[in-house]
Order: sequence, then structure tokens, then C-alpha cells
Amino acid sequence: MNRLLPMTALTALMSTTAGAQNVSQADNEWFRAGQAAIAQKTAVQPITSQAKNVIILIADGNGVGTNYATRLWHGQQNGNMGDENVLPYETFPHLALAKTYNVNAQTPDSAGTGTAMHSGIKTKAGVVGVDETLNRGDCAQTEAASVTNMSEIMTATGRSVGVISTARITHATPASVYAHSADRNYESNDGLPEGCAQPDIASQLIEAMKAGHVDVAMGGGRRHFIGKDVTDEEGKTGKRTDGRNLLEEARSMGAQYAWNDETASALALDGSSPILALFESSHMKYEYDRTGEPSLAEMTSTAIRALQGNEGGFFLSIEAGRVDHANHDGNLHRVVTDGVAFAEAVAIADELTSDEDTLIVVTADHEHAIAFNGYCGRGTPITGLCYGIDGNGVMHNGEPQTGADGKPYTVVGYLNGAGTVLREDVNWVGARGDITQDEATDPDYLQQALIPRSSETHSGEDVAIYAKGPWAHLLNGTVEQNFIFHVMHHAATVE
Amino acid sequence: MLKRRNLLIAAMAWTLPFPAFATPSAIRMRDLYNKDTSFSELALSLQDQRIDVEGFMAPPLKADATFFVLTKKPMAVCPFCETDADWPDDILAVHTKRRIKVKPFTLRLRVSGVLELGSLRDAETGFVSRVRLTDATYR
Repeated sequence: MNRLLPMTALTALMSTTAGAQNVSQADNEWFRAGQAAIAQKTAVQPITSQAKNVIILIADGNGVGTNYATRLWHGQQNGNMGDENVLPYETFPHLALAKTYNVNAQTPDSAGTGTAMHSGIKTKAGVVGVDETLNRGDCAQTEAASVTNMSEIMTATGRSVGVISTARITHATPASVYAHSADRNYESNDGLPEGCAQPDIASQLIEAMKAGHVDVAMGGGRRHFIGKDVTDEEGKTGKRTDGRNLLEEARSMGAQYAWNDETASALALDGSSPILALFESSHMKYEYDRTGEPSLAEMTSTAIRALQGNEGGFFLSIEAGRVDHANHDGNLHRVVTDGVAFAEAVAIADELTSDEDTLIVVTADHEHAIAFNGYCGRGTPITGLCYGIDGNGVMHNGEPQTGADGKPYTVVGYLNGAGTVLREDVNWVGARGDITQDEATDPDYLQQALIPRSSETHSGEDVAIYAKGPWAHLLNGTVEQNFIFHVMHHAATVE
Repeated sequence: MLKRRNLLIAAMAWTLPFPAFATPSAIRMRDLYNKDTSFSELALSLQDQRIDVEGFMAPPLKADATFFVLTKKPMAVCPFCETDADWPDDILAVHTKRRIKVKPFTLRLRVSGVLELGSLRDAETGFVSRVRLTDATYR
């Protein structure tokens, strides 16, 4: 009991600004920043009017850990030490943690998580827009197991619908906006099992556009829209074997089509016709490698301006799909550069809309097997070696920290993946390489990993949800991932 | 206490050949291409010369071959199991002097060979390459 008394007294002392003036650290800049944050937070008022527009931005594979790496990278690129940096969505007033598991998977996949966010139910891993009664891959069950998805729901409210991804537009997360599929891999008809009557995902997108359920679709994945005997604008052939050319079908129904940054900039954004923009045969390029195609922020701006023509509002789902892919590669440089591109997309979405009528939700679908070493001093390059703490200053001491093997290590490592230190050709025995800072910070470097896997895995850790706008205050605490849908739905339909 | 098994593993680890990392004279694959996958000035200047390039061996097309594909990052998925649309844009075909000994796809290699530019279909595999190293050795 006696030990509690000082804490109680301190709490009372600090409960008012006047009380804060009586502590010796009142002029400390951290103390004053904390007081300023109190003032800012107490001024936040919930917005309880209906949201005209709803935007969800999902960075695939951008869990709390991955996001931390991007925060530091972004700050360090802007000349600070990284830790103090604030990404655009980290200023949002409302925050929650999402539990991301699928009903049959402790470690989730993007199809199940996308369905949770876009249909309001948890389901099995690997399936899109269907409930858990379906056994993955069983096409005969698709129709009966289909659930109403966000494109169908928002269209019924009179809103326009857009979907953007830097992955293939038929990939799991964007597909969950508009499609129902017994397997995420049924992206074009060639991927369907024999006898499967379920339409493939690409053809479902075109049908959704024809039906007016999707008004803007931008991303990669041209190959699933054209035949294997058809060559696209960049000289690559398609995958379809059913003779359909979905790009021609889209044009025939009056859609505008773009395939590179030039044709995208020529799109009419008056909302008079739907937009289909496919910038790569497969996934769009990583931001670090990007050329000839728009950034995620540019696609976001294009989509919002096109959708804003509807007085009834819009729903827009935006995915940074390749944060996930770079994590799968174990290549932190492309993780964080795509992470910054995502942050820039959030910023432009925020800039082009009003908090009063637009709910913006920023989240991830799952985390990865990424981990962070210590003890690193401030300013240690997040993609590089861990430098020691300087007891006499703030900045790191420039001395690489070493393991018991005497070798330096990077701040970030992966628990598994292609960066494994184990060697298949020597019976999976291994030793860490003696890495230099130049090697570790090379854009193509793979952070060291333990368990050998060709592709690094997701993990089941929670992800953050940042929100602002109407009903954003409902997002707080630790929630099931499908709750995100219910907040968006409530905000869009409340009277 | 160091047990016999641990001692054995420690001894094996000590004798492992470490991956060969870059030295200033090695060329990285990305230096051969511009972002739009056109050839870089460096690649054009080194055409028909013997150069050293670093990268990773993609899972080979066939065993007992004198050909493999070098990638700038470990190629997690066999590029020949997918359509050409799945191949990385910036691969380097390597035609070796001797039959290849397959290396783990996670192991960084240094390949020495004569740089050839321009499209060519390999007679044995049918693989079409835009840039190659010929008469190549690797370690």
C-alpha cells in the first residue's frame, strides 16, 4: 500500500496543467510535448454524421513491426533519426488493433483477411467472398457460400465503387472487394479446375463493371484479361484459354482503358464512364523499380477525382500489395520504399477529402515473420547494421553490435525465408556471413533469416487500424478484423 | 559444456565456404539495365568483354545442362514453371564452359563470362534471352 502512495500523489499532481508546472521537469521538451498532446487529444470530438465517402487503405503485410521499419526509413530519408518521425496516418485520432486470424488459420492469408474487411465475416484462408461453409477449391459450393461484398453493398446505397492495388487487380485483397471464389488462385479461366462452373476472378471484375458495381479498377494483372495467344502493349502474352479478351469487352461496354502513366494521365475523370487501368502483365513494379507506371498516390488521386463526380459518394479500397511481396522476399529495402509509397497515398487521400464527410481507415491485412534486433543507438539505419548506444550522447556510436560469433548483425532479421543462413548444400548447417554496412544497405540485400524457406511467411500478429472521419471513434481497443467492415458499413448507412 | 555434437557442428560451420560478396570489380545485375529494362551505358560499353557479375542461380531448367539463369535476388519460384510473364525483367542467361553444378538459390555467386547483348534463342532449351554471359565459370 505504501508503494502506491507516491504514484497516487504523482497522478493527482499531473492531472492538471497547473499541477504540471510544479514538477521540476516542466520545461523539459518531452514533458511539454506530452502536455500539448493532452490538449490535442482532449479536443478530439467524434463525428457522428453519415459518411458520404469511405476509403480503406490496406498495406498488405504491413503489421506493427513492418510499419515501424517504414516509419524509421521515412524519417531517416528526411534527415532525422527515424524514431521521432510520424507517418501521415499516425496522426489520425483513432487507433485500434485487429486480430487477423482466419477461421481455420492462426496465420492468416490475404484472401481470408480481405473477405473479413470487405464482407464483414471471417472465413477460411485462401477463399474470396465466401463463408466458411465452403471447402477451399470446391467450385460447386461457391454460389451457395457467397456473401454480399462491399462493391455490391455500396452500389446498393448509390455510391460509386473503386478498387486499386499495386498487385494484380485479381489478387486476393482487391478481389475480395468484388468477387466470390472458392480459391484465390482462380484469377483467370486457365486456373480453374476441370468442370468448375464458377467464373474466374478477372471475368467477375468485368461483369461487376458491366453491372455498375465497380466504377474504377486500377492495378496490375493484364495477363488474366487476355488470351495466351494475345500480346499486350508491353509485349507479354496473356493466360486465358477461353478465347475471351476482357480488355475488349471492357472497351465495348464503354470503359476507358489505360496501360501506362501516359494513358492514365489522359483518362477523363468526370465519372461519365468506368475506368479500367492495368499497368503490368503481372504485379506492378516495386516503387524502387518503378518506371512508366503511376505511383500508388497517383492512382489514388486519379480514382478519387473520378469517383467524386457521384453526389451520392463513393467507396474506395486501396491496396499497397507489394509491401507483402518484398517481405516475402526478405528484402527490407523494397518493403520500406513501398511502405513510404503507401504513406504518400494515404496523405493524398486525406488531402483530397474532408474529415466531415469521409471516413478513412488505414490498416494492414496481416504481419510477417519480421523481427528487430537490439541494442541499437538512435539514428541506426533501419535497413543496415545495428550500431551501439552512445552513453554520452544521442546518436549511435558508430560501432556495429556483434553476436557471440563476433559478427555484426542488421537491425532487422526474418525468422524464415530466402535470406536463411543455413545451407542446403552442406546438410542445412550454416554460419552467418560477415556483413558490411555497404552490403546490408544495398537495395537488393536480403536480411538474414533463420529457417530456410523459398518465400518468407506471414505471421499472426495483430495489425494496427488508424482512422479518422465519421464514426472513426468506433475503432478502438483490440477488435476482430471483420469489425472494420462493420464500422465502414455503419458510417455509410447510419441515418 | 561443449558436447561432442555441438563441437562437430561448430567444426563444420568453421569450414563452411562463405558466400562470395561483392568486391569493387564485380558488377551487379541492376547495373546492366536501366529501370525500363533497356541496356545501361555500362552494359553497352562492356559488350563482348569478359566481366564478373554477382547474383543467384535460379532453379535450373534441366539437369546436366550448361545453362542457368542468374537473378539479382534469390528466385523463390522456378521461372520455368510459370509463363514468361512471371520471369523477372532483369535476368541474365548464363551459358557455362562446363556442365553446371546446381547451387542453392539462396547462395550468392560470382559469375565470370563474356557479355553478349541482343535476343537469342538457346537451341537446347528454347530459352530466349536478351543478355547473356557465355563461356562462363562461377564460384
